[in-house]
Amino acid sequence: MRRLHAVRPLEVDERGLRLVSFCGHCGMPPAAGSESSGSRVCGHCGLGLVLQAPADVAPRGDEPFLVIDSTLSVCAVSARAEDLLGTDETLAVNQHIADFIVPADANAPSAENLLVLLVDAASGSGEPRTAVVRPRSEFGVRFRARIGPCGPPHAALLVLTD
Amino acid sequence: MRTLKTSEAATLLNVSPNTLRAWERRFGYPKPQRSAGRHRLYTHGEVAALRDALQQGLSISSAVSRAREALSTDTHTLVGALAGFELDRADSAMECALALRSVERSVEEVLLPSLDELGERFGTDSAPWAFAARWADGWLRRAQWLAPPPSRPLAILVGDATRNELDPDALGMRAFELFCGRAGARVMALPIASVAGLGDVVRSLSPDAVVIAGRYESDDDVARWAYRIRAASGQLPTALFRRTHQSANVRRAAGARVLPDTPFGAQRQLLALVDDRVDQRLAENADAPLRPAAKLPRRTAQA
Repeated sequence: MRRLHAVRPLEVDERGLRLVSFCGHCGMPPAAGSESSGSRVCGHCGLGLVLQAPADVAPRGDEPFLVIDSTLSVCAVSARAEDLLGTDETLAVNQHIADFIVPADANAPSAENLLVLLVDAASGSGEPRTAVVRPRSEFGVRFRARIGPCGPPHAALLVLTD
Repeated sequence: MRTLKTSEAATLLNVSPNTLRAWERRFGYPKPQRSAGRHRLYTHGEVAALRDALQQGLSISSAVSRAREALSTDTHTLVGALAGFELDRADSAMECALALRSVERSVEEVLLPSLDELGERFGTDSAPWAFAARWADGWLRRAQWLAPPPSRPLAILVGDATRNELDPDALGMRAFELFCGRAGARVMALPIASVAGLGDVVRSLSPDAVVIAGRYESDDDVARWAYRIRAASGQLPTALFRRTHQSANVRRAAGARVLPDTPFGAQRQLLALVDDRVDQRLAENADAPLRPAAKLPRRTAQA
């Protein structure tokens, strides 16, 4: 019976996608034993809340990412994204995502539209998707972005990859 | 107002005390006061607002933003009450603010911003502004009466260079007086225009510092007033509060310091400046050879 303590139920969302947990600031998985403490605050950095996202969207390693709500306001900026975008989460919060990230291809068809993808993801209904984006103030730099739902509460996760 | 020690606040938020201090550095929230022993004291209302916001937050920053928004409702209530000429509701709004914050923060975060908003909305020469400014002046005076008696060997003379109680700077000056009084200092405000008999008042108060507050009176009048003070009590540390633009000449002549525009910031900077001087004076007195007890002033002999 004692061995059962080491077994954790597989967490899945309503569509059966496997969910993983990570800190909204440092991106690390939650520290062991943090579930029992009942705190959502990251036990590693103490500067982010633990969020969940489908495994194929969630940040891997030190990939930079942002969390956006359904009004397209920035709600969280990871430490790596702060460096990459030259901003600070405390200043970026409540700003529109378009102040930081814009589609790399302005003529993309509507299905590829970054803002539509983000709103869909933030409503919790969107499938994980990808888009090509760039920082608003940089023209020569492009990132492939993974976009999908995260939470709680419902929000969109935008992970920047090479 | 209920306050919490660091460990209590950390327990309420389910984080470690180190995390709480890290939040203070990064987010400036929750913002603790300090106890007499310099320990952090958090207001229960701020911590509870943050705890509630964290339940629904996506990041600490967004939770802090929501908690701040929740606390700013007092400002909206006060603005609404004063704009509607409802004095009872204005008093109630300040009571609610005091339940969550210290007097200093209630004044700086609720009362003064509300008056600023009303000044912008109606203009500071309007009747609604006069109504609100008189209420605020009365509130600050009541708070001064309720402040504990002076507990520091420290006296501050404030030269009132504001136009009258409807001058926006006058409310800031009143708040500054209140905060200095609450910190245990003896504070006396005298109008810059009153020069006759000033020496007698100054000798009676024997101030440790002079603050010139407000930008209405001219530099010449201020200089005349400051000269009388110097003649009566010698060179004293002088500071300017809400008088930055006009007084380049005064600043140069008197070597005056410019205090921050916020009353609490000004109070802290002034006390830091003057406390060193008072400590020095007390140390010099302690080092001085003892005189016969019979010759000591009566108050010192009792002490």
